[in-house]
Amino acid sequence: MSEQKFERGTSLSIFVSDRREDIGSLIFALLIAIGIVLVVGK
Amino acid sequence: MVYTKKSPALFIIGLVMLLWGWLNASGNIDGLQQYFQKSAYSDHMKVKEKFDAEFRVATEMAAAESKPAPDMKMPHSKFDDAKAFQSKMCFIFGGVATLLGLLVMVWTPKEGNLDYYLSIFPGMAYMLMIAFLVRWGLDPMFANWGKAAQPTLGWNFASIFNLNYVVLGIVIGIVIVNVFKIPDWAANGVRTARFFLKTGVILLGALYSATELAQLGAISVLMIGVFVLGSIGVVLYMGRRMNTGNSMTAVLASGVGVCGVSAAVAAAPVVNAKAAEIAYTIGTILVWGVGCMFLFPTVGHLLGMGPVQFGAWAGTGILNSAQVAGAALAFDPHGIETLKVAEIFNITRVLFLPIVVLWLATWYVKHEVGAEKVDLGKVLFAKFPVFVLGFILMFALSTMGAFTPSGHYQGKYFSSEQIKEDKLLKGKETKAVEAELVRLKEAAGTKQLQDFFTEKAINIGQRHATPEDAHKGLAELIANKKMTTRDQERLLKAVGKMKGLDAVTANAIDKASKAAYHSSKTIGAFRDWLAWLFSIGLIGLGMQITMAALKQAGGTPLIIGGVVGTAKAVGSLIVVLLFIKEFI
Repeated sequence: MSEQKFERGTSLSIFVSDRREDIGSLIFALLIAIGIVLVVGK
Repeated sequence: MVYTKKSPALFIIGLVMLLWGWLNASGNIDGLQQYFQKSAYSDHMKVKEKFDAEFRVATEMAAAESKPAPDMKMPHSKFDDAKAFQSKMCFIFGGVATLLGLLVMVWTPKEGNLDYYLSIFPGMAYMLMIAFLVRWGLDPMFANWGKAAQPTLGWNFASIFNLNYVVLGIVIGIVIVNVFKIPDWAANGVRTARFFLKTGVILLGALYSATELAQLGAISVLMIGVFVLGSIGVVLYMGRRMNTGNSMTAVLASGVGVCGVSAAVAAAPVVNAKAAEIAYTIGTILVWGVGCMFLFPTVGHLLGMGPVQFGAWAGTGILNSAQVAGAALAFDPHGIETLKVAEIFNITRVLFLPIVVLWLATWYVKHEVGAEKVDLGKVLFAKFPVFVLGFILMFALSTMGAFTPSGHYQGKYFSSEQIKEDKLLKGKETKAVEAELVRLKEAAGTKQLQDFFTEKAINIGQRHATPEDAHKGLAELIANKKMTTRDQERLLKAVGKMKGLDAVTANAIDKASKAAYHSSKTIGAFRDWLAWLFSIGLIGLGMQITMAALKQAGGTPLIIGGVVGTAKAVGSLIVVLLFIKEFI
């Protein structure tokens, strides 16, 4: 595996693309929201 | 290349967290926690006093009946809950960190995805540990110092300078990177900061609801829109003319145009802003806001502005929420109208955030691509930040009532039906209100109400409140023993602050008013998650701000921020004086 796969230079992200990071954060946020609604209720 | 560094750091961080969890659970640091959790501890003492009294009575009754002493347990106080929360967090994350720390020490991973993703945990735990320190230690400590110094200074320096977890997190990150450097084992984990910030921005959408716009008149929405979008346009124009760099210009535009720190953070990933650029924007906003906070009330008094006018001006012209509240309170320390109007104006700016982010994304892509003729639609589709859609989705869900009743205002909503039986007014209270109503219906009482409504500019919807409205509201309060409509509650809450009102009546109104508003636990949970995500993200962000990067950014952002801030303050003052009268 080459070093470039994860190196993002100055943009400082662990993801290989911004889109992947966006989708990851969107999924994480939705999981948190669903968790809150299920645990805390409305 | 293998990314995971063989280091005991993660294991040690895990042990430190477990130790803190144990110290909390065992009560060994209660003395220290009493200092940090001052308000929760005062709640604890009240609960304890009540419990002690009940226990004494129960013990005496049992003794009189020759029965054994009752087995009673003290109910949980907010202080107990706060300590239990800290223990729980430390046990969960400390446990995970200890196990992973052991794994990192004894196992050498092969090159690949597993190695790479394992390498982020030490840095994440490092940021989390600092977040614990900031949120449980520094944040309450500065809040205590601010309150303690208030009588001497006349203002709360911690609140005015925004010395909360947001600013303290960035500052501590900057100190760490510039004094100690980021350790090798933490480098990859620190790069997750932006991911946490993006998740936080998405969840931010859940806190707001479009129904908040309904609280404002059309002129006010128009005024806020013009100033938000106008300031952004001017910053973008000036930034291009002064060669500030596209990402710096865009993030400054969002911070100066919308409302400070959270807007700057939200716009940053959209335009690939560097950490130092966000720091510059936040610095500009805070320095400018503090100056305005002292200047605005003086100008307001010199021009003889009314509470609604001043609230609208402060809410539009000052860039940061805490300083908007500070200026409103400095202008009218005893009134609620100025603060309320200023806060509504301030919050409404945030509702423009989705539009602003879309604009900045388009602007950035267009200018980064430069002279090359490309299909803007295609580039936008490829580059558009998906997490912004997440923010809009959350905002839409919140407006539709997916998380809490749709009419909520920052997580608080009015509901007469949900008022519990024990929160209804008691006989003594309704009798006091009845007697006060009789007095207020007499000529002197009616004049007192009229003068008060005129002085404080109290309105119902788009018209002045009248003494008859207050009479009707009080009569309904007596009949129902609770507030039944939002208008009635707002009017009577104002009446409750009138000088010369009977103390029992004022208390009864306050009690009925509080009973009618319910805090959404769901929105509270969102707020907690948001605070943690932002804490971790901002600490990581601070860790990317080196002195060299700050020098590279130069002083131009401060000049642009100052010029646009002044233009916005003067422009909004003129508009407020011309168009905003007593109604909002």
